[in-house]
Amino acid sequence: MNAVTGTRARSDAALSLQGVDKIYAPTAKAPVHAVKALNLDVRKGEIVALLGSSGCGKTSTLRMIAGFESVTSGAIALAGRRIEQLAPARRGVAMAFEGYSLYPPLTVRDNIAFALKSARLSAREVEAKVAEVAALVEIEPILDRYPSSISGGQQQRASLARALVRPAELYLLDEPMGQLEPRLRALLRGRLKRLLTERGMTSIFVTHDQTEANALADRVAVMEGGVLQQLANQTELKERPANLYVATFIGEPPMNVFDASAEVGERVRFAVADGPKLDFSANEFSEAARNVIARRRRIVIGVRPHDIRLNAGGSEAKVVSNQWLGDQTHIALDVAGKLMVTVAFSEVGAQRGETMRYEIPSGKLHVFDADTGKAISHGSEAA
Amino acid sequence: MAQIELRNVTKSFKTGKVLEGLSLSADEGEIVCVFGPSGVGKTVLLRLIAGVEEPDAGSIWLEGRDVTDAPPETRGVGIAFQNFALFPHMSAYDNIGSALTARGASAATIKAKVEKVAGLLKIGHVLSHAPRELSNGQKQRTALARALAADPKIVLLDDPLRNVDAKLRYEMRLELPSLLRASGATVLYVTQDYKEAMAIGDRIAVLLDGRFEQIGRPSAIYREPVSMGVARLFGDPTINLIPIRPRAGDGGATCEIGGATLALGPSHAATEGRSVLLGLRPEALSVIDAGAPGAFPVEVVAVTPLNEKTVLLMRMPDGQEIFASEAGVENEARQPGPAFARFDPARVLAFDEATGARIGGGA
Repeated sequence: MNAVTGTRARSDAALSLQGVDKIYAPTAKAPVHAVKALNLDVRKGEIVALLGSSGCGKTSTLRMIAGFESVTSGAIALAGRRIEQLAPARRGVAMAFEGYSLYPPLTVRDNIAFALKSARLSAREVEAKVAEVAALVEIEPILDRYPSSISGGQQQRASLARALVRPAELYLLDEPMGQLEPRLRALLRGRLKRLLTERGMTSIFVTHDQTEANALADRVAVMEGGVLQQLANQTELKERPANLYVATFIGEPPMNVFDASAEVGERVRFAVADGPKLDFSANEFSEAARNVIARRRRIVIGVRPHDIRLNAGGSEAKVVSNQWLGDQTHIALDVAGKLMVTVAFSEVGAQRGETMRYEIPSGKLHVFDADTGKAISHGSEAA
Repeated sequence: MAQIELRNVTKSFKTGKVLEGLSLSADEGEIVCVFGPSGVGKTVLLRLIAGVEEPDAGSIWLEGRDVTDAPPETRGVGIAFQNFALFPHMSAYDNIGSALTARGASAATIKAKVEKVAGLLKIGHVLSHAPRELSNGQKQRTALARALAADPKIVLLDDPLRNVDAKLRYEMRLELPSLLRASGATVLYVTQDYKEAMAIGDRIAVLLDGRFEQIGRPSAIYREPVSMGVARLFGDPTINLIPIRPRAGDGGATCEIGGATLALGPSHAATEGRSVLLGLRPEALSVIDAGAPGAFPVEVVAVTPLNEKTVLLMRMPDGQEIFASEAGVENEARQPGPAFARFDPARVLAFDEATGARIGGGA
């Protein structure tokens, strides 16, 4: 018996990956372990983003689900059915991939309509569906052109339209908004989110852009080194990052982190060399967290840019830069020889070189194990 | 005294595009960002100043001297390009010192200058490495160090952060202004990222259709863009543009949106009776659940978090899509569905539909 057929697949999971590995060139001297023991459940109607930098394993994962890449080991089930051995066309997935190109002999309109062939619709219904999705991605003017005569960006949108128009168990989208100009990208984010949510289209998309991931996805799977680091909604990724990788990857700008030493007693004290000393009441930390902190010689403390209070508290630092971006202000302070970034949604009157007071509120401190990178505690979470 | 001065510089090139009548003056120690979409001729402009291209008309003055006909090597300009352009067979150290070496500086001088600038740019530990052994971030810092090493009075940077990853680009965006200021040089910095331009530039020169459409401080460009073209290049999401035809009302111009009559305020007198596009930045729009004076009906299509903000995509009664953005992502209460939007009249801009010029709002 394998692990997935039957009972172990979660009943509400539309897609389930169990122990999936991908090793490229396994017999070569230096095989590439692109995806490692990946477990991933996607609920019906859910939108999940695979997010990470290049080489993190996100695209290999998407390609294995699509069937463009074999799995080295592990199982993939879609709607309760094992699919990892099936040809791509038999998996019941709709895809918009780079390299999964439009049929050159057909116009854009016919390419999109062709995807509806198996849906047994009247000509009028097909026309209406094509028109709707073409409006969504703004390709109406090029519907009667051939793929070779339109730009790369237009091909990408036509391919996206072709994927979205057809009924499928799962939609797989590879960097769906890669090459769009900013206004259209923002529009498409909203329109796509509306469409996918309203119609309950279970979707997985790959992106290296966390703005895109956060805007569209219900949950984000952060990958690095072939390993799923954390799968959570964006609030959780920011407020409870599982480890230092996630903490310093997620957030624009990401969390500020500092090596620190800790002292646990009546109070919990943290000291950053040449930097701030933080002093908190012990009951702001759970007993478990206090125990772990006490046993570690080296820890890392972190605070998100939006959580730092300026002109408050007793710590001081020099202003390295004060940059107003129209709708927000980014201020970098020199703390312990590093930049500590803070963000405010108004203009802040501080000049470069000035000394500024700041405070890291106790409820906003994150503590990590310096050796493993694992999170020990987040904010005020005394049990 | 202006360190960099362009007087009516004109240049046409093979693709048919032109730079027309560019005038700009940058003071000592100032950082001016030349910002515009790709393909507008920003790089050509730098090449003209560096002397590798010649203008068809107009003159270029550096440090108070007309250099229009001077050969590039006499202009004393430090340059860094977006593709780094490091000498592949030379170490980072030799790359950084190359301008000093060419000038015949002593080994001791070269060592002192290279080590100083490498320290500032935090690449002291990779000076012996060949370019191929450097990460993209280190290459970019090496290229910058080379541009700064010979203490040039004038530094030209061509989109230097273009080819580094987002994280490093962000860090450099924070640090570069201090580094450049420490060098004392006058800097022209080319970028096509509006946030970079706002963050780094003391002033921004917006290059559009071959002309400097506006030159000013970041706050002036954002709040008082001279035209719709400039307004659209700044902001995320970009500015909403709603076609209206204001009328004279009791307390100044008013307009109708979705059946609601909205006051535009005293700075919009010139818009009365004309076809204009109302320019509303997403953060100047707020969304409320119930109708109120000064609010117009919308349908919230989607709620999408954007960094620490929440962006609402909304459809107006006539079908036009607009954005609003709110600080914070904790607003779980926001859901798609009917709502009302209103704007702060003090932050509304109006552009002439025919010319694109701003004729209402701003100072």
